[in-house]
Amino acid sequence: MSRIAGLRPRVGGLRPRAPGFVALGLGALALVTFPYWSRDWESSRYATTVLRDILVFAILALSLDLLMGYVGLPSLGHAAFFGAGAYAAAIASQRLETEALFVTLPAGVLVATLLALGIGLFAVRASGIFFLMLTLAFAQMVFSFAFQATDITGGSNGFAGVRRPELFGISFSAAEELYVLVAVSFLATAFVLWRITRSPYGRTLVAIRENERRMRALGYDTRAIKLSAFALAGALAGLAGALSAYSLRFVSANDAGIGTSITAFVMVLIGGAGTLAGPAVGAAVVILIERVLNSYIPFSQTVLGVVFVVFVLAARQGVVGAARTAWARARG
Amino acid sequence: MSPELAFLQALNGISFGALLFILAAGLSLIFGMMDVVNLAHGAFYMLGAYIALSVVRTTGSFWVALVAVPLALGALGLVVEPLLLRRLRGRHLDQVLITVGVALVITDLIRLKPDWGAEVRTLPPPDALAGSIAILGNDYPVYRLFVIAFGVTLALSLAALHRRSRAGALIRAGVDDAQMLSALGVDTDRLFAVTYAIGAALAGLAGVVAAPVLGLQPGMDVEALVLSLIVVVVGGLGTLGGAQVGAALVGPADTFGKVFVPQFALFFIFAIMALVLLLRPSGLLGRIRVIR
Repeated sequence: MSRIAGLRPRVGGLRPRAPGFVALGLGALALVTFPYWSRDWESSRYATTVLRDILVFAILALSLDLLMGYVGLPSLGHAAFFGAGAYAAAIASQRLETEALFVTLPAGVLVATLLALGIGLFAVRASGIFFLMLTLAFAQMVFSFAFQATDITGGSNGFAGVRRPELFGISFSAAEELYVLVAVSFLATAFVLWRITRSPYGRTLVAIRENERRMRALGYDTRAIKLSAFALAGALAGLAGALSAYSLRFVSANDAGIGTSITAFVMVLIGGAGTLAGPAVGAAVVILIERVLNSYIPFSQTVLGVVFVVFVLAARQGVVGAARTAWARARG
Repeated sequence: MSPELAFLQALNGISFGALLFILAAGLSLIFGMMDVVNLAHGAFYMLGAYIALSVVRTTGSFWVALVAVPLALGALGLVVEPLLLRRLRGRHLDQVLITVGVALVITDLIRLKPDWGAEVRTLPPPDALAGSIAILGNDYPVYRLFVIAFGVTLALSLAALHRRSRAGALIRAGVDDAQMLSALGVDTDRLFAVTYAIGAALAGLAGVVAAPVLGLQPGMDVEALVLSLIVVVVGGLGTLGGAQVGAALVGPADTFGKVFVPQFALFFIFAIMALVLLLRPSGLLGRIRVIR
């Protein structure tokens, strides 16, 4: 039970050389400025919204991948921190009557981190499938709190009218500016995780996944390290949650519910766990099916379900893993 | 709270516990035996309830549904296991993904079927059990007493089968060491398919029995899945006794939680789960340690 089948170590996979860095930088710039250079397109506004939601979920999936792909902790309750971040940002804005980004965003991240510390204290004592069941149950506890504490969260009606933030006079209330905020947050998250997973700390996480007993014998406090990773992943999920609250101007109890947890979970698996590009690709695949396909056919959820089944049976390493294998084979 | 009211609430709690047992027994069986966390369990439960709705509409008989639904879900299990799960033995994350996929397809089809649909539906209890009787001066629905009797009878007969029958012996052996069982010449592939079918049939049965009490609505699958997970974690994984004890504890705890702290009723059973895990990491009767 110490190792979970389906996940392989993949440390130091992406190592861009100088031309790579330039391409990466240009790509990042193009991503951040998307609503401006696509302005003349007929569907620019729609595409911006869809891309924004993909990026919000990509942050969530990236944070979950830190747990699933690197520490080997498959959490099926990650939406708890997403929801906590969304509610905390919305409630802080409402109660403190402020739109300041440097108040509401840290509020979301902080509450999500504290919640992750509390749940993690229990959850990291389990591993594998038991960790999965515990996180699922605890997240459902958060969901039921959000669903029932009507005077704080709005209960089953949800929390409507979340105000969009501003920072030092720059307002993010227009769709374009908000998109830039989300895109920059996504790039920052990806960069932070890229640094972390290549740091000694990141190697320690992978080593714990591969052989926790040995790491304990070497003197590492593996439980504390796993808890720290759990809290870090919770913090980033809280960031995604706060961005989601700004984007939709609405927080629903379902944001903390099992549906969102499962969505994040499959994004990581479909894209490829243990990679940085994977979760983002997974987020794009799932959101495109859920959002775009849904407006053409009524049974998009069935399609999504079938996609899961096909992925398990045909492409076990996810999109990115399969692409790498194909690339390696093409090069001989 | 007056003693009479407390007694009635206790009856409610036991009746809910009986439902939980039927639901959780299947999940525990599949997990303990096959080491598969079947996240489609809630969807099977939901499908069972909606098939019961259709059967009652066409035949007019609840009792036909009570027999037909487990058979239908069992047949579905017999298809799903060999087709999808057999090749995934030991690959937990893939099992999670594929059972979630199955659950998505089932709930989507339920939503799209016009006479099942996305709205709340009710299934009346059979005529023979429709009324209520006076208990300690209060009216109490007969159907809930039936649920208790049904759950207890099922628990006793499952326990008898589990301990005394050949199939029960094979299942116990499979939980202990499926590989050894296979080496001894038992066709474990067939055994696993049958186990999965029994688990699915139990989920469907729970759907039929619960429908007149809890109703049919979108989201009932997730609720059922989470509740049955809690029951098996509290009671202990992989043993029938675990599902019994877990259900007997969680059912009344949920009911009394709703009476005493209505705002945080759901909170209450999670607190119990956390406490049990802290004091007994393998659940009350389980042999598999959940946390270290």
